[in-house]
Amino acid sequence: MNAGTKGGGKVFTTIAISVILILWLIPTIGLLVTSFRPVSLINTTGWWTVFYVNNGPEINKSEGTYLQQLGNRLTIDNYIDALTGYRGTTTYRKDCNDGSKPLGYKCDISDLLNPRGMGRAFLNSVVVTIPATILPILFAAFAAYAFAWFDFRGRYVLFAILVGLQVVPLQMTLVPVLRMYSALGLNGTFLAVWLFHTGFGLPYAIYLLRNFMGGLPRELFESAYLDGATHWTTFTKLVLPLTMPAVASLGIFQFLWVWNDLLVSLVFLGGTKPVMTYQISNMVTSMGAGWHLLTAAAFLSMIVPMIVFFSLQKYFVRGMMAGAVKG
Amino acid sequence: MAKTNVAPVMKQGKVIPWLYVLPALIIMTIFIVYPMINTINLSFLNKNGTASAATTCVEGEPCWGIFENYRYALTAELDTTNFSTAWNSFWLSSYGNMLKWLVVMVTGTVVLGLVFAVLADRIKHEALAKSVIFMPMAISFVGAGVIWRFMYNYGTSKVQTGLLNAIITSLGGEPVAFLSTIPINTFMLIIVGIWMWTGFCMTILSSAIKSIPNEVIEAARIDGAGEFKVFTSIMVPIIAPTITVVITTMVINVLKLFDIVYVMTGGNFSTNVIATRMYTEMYTNSQDGRGTAIAVILVIAIIPFIVMNIRRFMQQEVMR
Amino acid sequence: MKKSKLWSLIAVLLVVILAISACGKTPTATPTVAPTVSEPETVEEPTVSEPEASDEAAAVDEKPADEVAAAEIDCMDVKAGDTISLLYQWSGAEEEKFTAVLAPFVEACGVTITPESSRDQALLDTRVKAGTPPDLAFWQTPQLIQYKDQLIPMTDLGINEANYAENWRALGTVDGKWLGLPAKADIKTLIWYSPKQFKEAGYTVPTTWEELDALVEKMVADGKVPWSMGFESGDATGWTGTDFIQDILLVQQGAEYVNGLIDGSIKYSDAGVKTAYETYGKWATDEKYTIGGAQGTLSTGFNDAILKVFADEPEAMMVKQSGFAMGTILGTYPNLVYGTDFDFFGVPGAKGLQGGSDWMMAFSDKPAVKAFVAYLSSAKGGEEWAKASFDLTPNLAGEKAYVDETLLKKAEILAGATAFTPDIGDSIPGGFGKAEFSGVTDYVNGGDLDKVLETIAAAQAEALKE
Repeated sequence: MNAGTKGGGKVFTTIAISVILILWLIPTIGLLVTSFRPVSLINTTGWWTVFYVNNGPEINKSEGTYLQQLGNRLTIDNYIDALTGYRGTTTYRKDCNDGSKPLGYKCDISDLLNPRGMGRAFLNSVVVTIPATILPILFAAFAAYAFAWFDFRGRYVLFAILVGLQVVPLQMTLVPVLRMYSALGLNGTFLAVWLFHTGFGLPYAIYLLRNFMGGLPRELFESAYLDGATHWTTFTKLVLPLTMPAVASLGIFQFLWVWNDLLVSLVFLGGTKPVMTYQISNMVTSMGAGWHLLTAAAFLSMIVPMIVFFSLQKYFVRGMMAGAVKG
Repeated sequence: MAKTNVAPVMKQGKVIPWLYVLPALIIMTIFIVYPMINTINLSFLNKNGTASAATTCVEGEPCWGIFENYRYALTAELDTTNFSTAWNSFWLSSYGNMLKWLVVMVTGTVVLGLVFAVLADRIKHEALAKSVIFMPMAISFVGAGVIWRFMYNYGTSKVQTGLLNAIITSLGGEPVAFLSTIPINTFMLIIVGIWMWTGFCMTILSSAIKSIPNEVIEAARIDGAGEFKVFTSIMVPIIAPTITVVITTMVINVLKLFDIVYVMTGGNFSTNVIATRMYTEMYTNSQDGRGTAIAVILVIAIIPFIVMNIRRFMQQEVMR
Repeated sequence: MKKSKLWSLIAVLLVVILAISACGKTPTATPTVAPTVSEPETVEEPTVSEPEASDEAAAVDEKPADEVAAAEIDCMDVKAGDTISLLYQWSGAEEEKFTAVLAPFVEACGVTITPESSRDQALLDTRVKAGTPPDLAFWQTPQLIQYKDQLIPMTDLGINEANYAENWRALGTVDGKWLGLPAKADIKTLIWYSPKQFKEAGYTVPTTWEELDALVEKMVADGKVPWSMGFESGDATGWTGTDFIQDILLVQQGAEYVNGLIDGSIKYSDAGVKTAYETYGKWATDEKYTIGGAQGTLSTGFNDAILKVFADEPEAMMVKQSGFAMGTILGTYPNLVYGTDFDFFGVPGAKGLQGGSDWMMAFSDKPAVKAFVAYLSSAKGGEEWAKASFDLTPNLAGEKAYVDETLLKKAEILAGATAFTPDIGDSIPGGFGKAEFSGVTDYVNGGDLDKVLETIAAAQAEALKE
């Protein structure tokens, strides 16, 4: 429909955005609410029933304002158990309060660093993810620049192969690469994971960056050339800053893929240097018991990607390009 | 082959371009090209790579010789009794499902992502709004599987722990088994896919929209163009290259799609896609030859999109 | 400028990362030894000693089985600081129990165990194909056949043969070689119910199949739903159905017949199988007999199906499920009491038991692995396993050592069984298991039974071809 007037457009925008946002939020809210519910209720009642404070099991009935009552129906045990990596049959807090210290726990702050918990895994995840995000983007920026602004033999063929390489399934490459790593003694090192993610991140990174760089106006390069700039200075001083929005979005996604990857770190790094996804998947027993911890753990592992997303937002600013072209 | 009316603007030697490209090429060769060659080789061998695939042929049944694994990969899911059974079984096979995924999910994510990117561009709390759409991407697949179980769960009595069925039953309807009812189950999985991947399209498209110079849009508005007109005749043409990139990327992502199906239905109830079938053949059934043949088919399926991209690549150079 | 800030940030980050990752690395590993060990995850730091002697030297020293079994823990030629890499599918509370089983061995011998847990078949397969398998893997029966060329026979590793019954040995034997140590077993031929509910309704536990059948009909007549069934289990959806059908086969045909299906001498499309499917289908697809009828069976998670029998308002009277059901029940309803709120009985009339088992397979014969095999198969190992309440142990020495009430009862059922059959789907390699799961799913979903059985029979024939 044609939103003729500004006012009508605004209302339409607000309504449309609100509808989409609500639809998108519902599942996530469900996960969030579930992560604060006691395990016995998760399986037997819908997560939304938590808001009907006057219904539900007697044990959760209480006095006070709506919020107080709501608060009484929720628990942070799932988060505590996920953070400490508690695997017993009750909860970490209950065991500690009873005085029956769970095996391997001291019931003080140091339990946050328990090897089964998320703390150490968090550190490993960070160590894996940051180089595995930066390296492919770095190499890709160079290659993308060449594909966009150099003329060399075979670049069409190479670019075609590049697009095709994106679809190669990761599972197919594990065996040959692992064989190579073990011959080189790289098995179980962080370097092994960084390189693998770099290899798999490159085709898409080059593809995306080339398209952005290829879209830069030709005048930009001509004026730089007239000023006596070399390719190197053009690339570093002009092209890279201008490609920042693309680099930022690429950075977000490469970060996410590596952060949420389980298989690659499991195959090359193994359980000896567990990353967060490893700990998350191991909270549930092979028969599916304990998966309430998953909801809490899934939220914990979301925190960092969301921070990355927010902090890279500043690169999505209108007019960066326009200003640059003029200047 | 390249028509060099696309002369570079700056001097360059023969070597310089390769210095920029080589590091990336070497890494990709080691990690993707070499293993892929290995894969292609395996796809012509039997299940554990000890003899030619032709040796697995069964007498009295169709056999494609060395391409036997490809015969299996392409036809095993089809019921070829007659045309109509073949047609019906195709639409429940991994290839038929793949087409459903491609059409619905790519359209869904790109359209929704574009609409949202444009709309969010005009509101105050843009970053916040976009982060809501982006959030599902940050949830690991395990987490997403858990939460969509709470959406689709099929309760069998008064108690419904699945939100959708709770709504349906409170309106007096009969609960629906969303994940086991053929054929709606595949579409239910596609909804999960759209929910997860729209944030991706939105982010890339949003960064393209941000790079449209303000003056261009303002000029159009001053000329009296309505907002919808600005969107269709100014914005969309300018970001068309990015839209192609996003579509290509989504096509590739959908072709490779594995986790959503694996976590939620495990490919049961006719929800298999190519990647889950490949995984089952490779690891559950330890049929390496068949698994790798499916992988090669996957790579071949991307060729039309490569052609499309190369065309655009050339056009872009002629135009600038 | 923005850009330079970003780059300096990146540089700092990289330096930090390199520093952190460098700390984690131990000097060097020989290429063939799998992951470098930083800190053991579950075990106390061992006292570090000089590098181990060469592996080959150890092969000479082999003791008669009985002698070893008598000793408490024989560390053989293990040096403190030797490492063993393990890969198993247990996680969460299960992993905890397994760690407890190993604790005495670790303490006595000073080995470092580097455990990894994953249920992803791709991980084990990748490692084996790439030539970097773990020293020991705990997996299912088909892998014994799949990796028969890489596995080291248990008899070469000094297993205490006397502690294992002949049928277990037979199950772990491929091409005449004993390739796997049966580590853990669970009985599947069980029906869980609420004694309280039974008492209220005046029902008694059936002792024959006819009585069970009559009880089911009586429940229906009383307006109660007898069964709770749930197929949903991700990739393995359908396994609860094939488990149930195998139990029916044990009732209707017996253990010989089931073994015939496993070795291929009886085709899966045989009339006996069809009868069992029909017996099962009558219950599984009708909402009078099971919660929600066919759609309920298909869409309910296997754990949810257990819980529905023990909820505050029970939706059904019985659920057929393996021994692990107790963990599920107590995980959600910690206040329920075994014996009054929940209990189980063996499937009445079954001529033999169906069991699930996890097998330990060895890809290495280094001294530490030999000591490990010796420990797990020793009297001490069996007792520790039983004491840890980590399901049943096939190790005969564990029989008397169970402390958990349900395990005692299960051990009793096991001891009284005339035969023990493994899960059919777990025992035939290749695509059979998956075909069987999908088959029963299709059948309950309204598929044509003859066609379903033909498809599964084809998978059976193909898997057993070689």
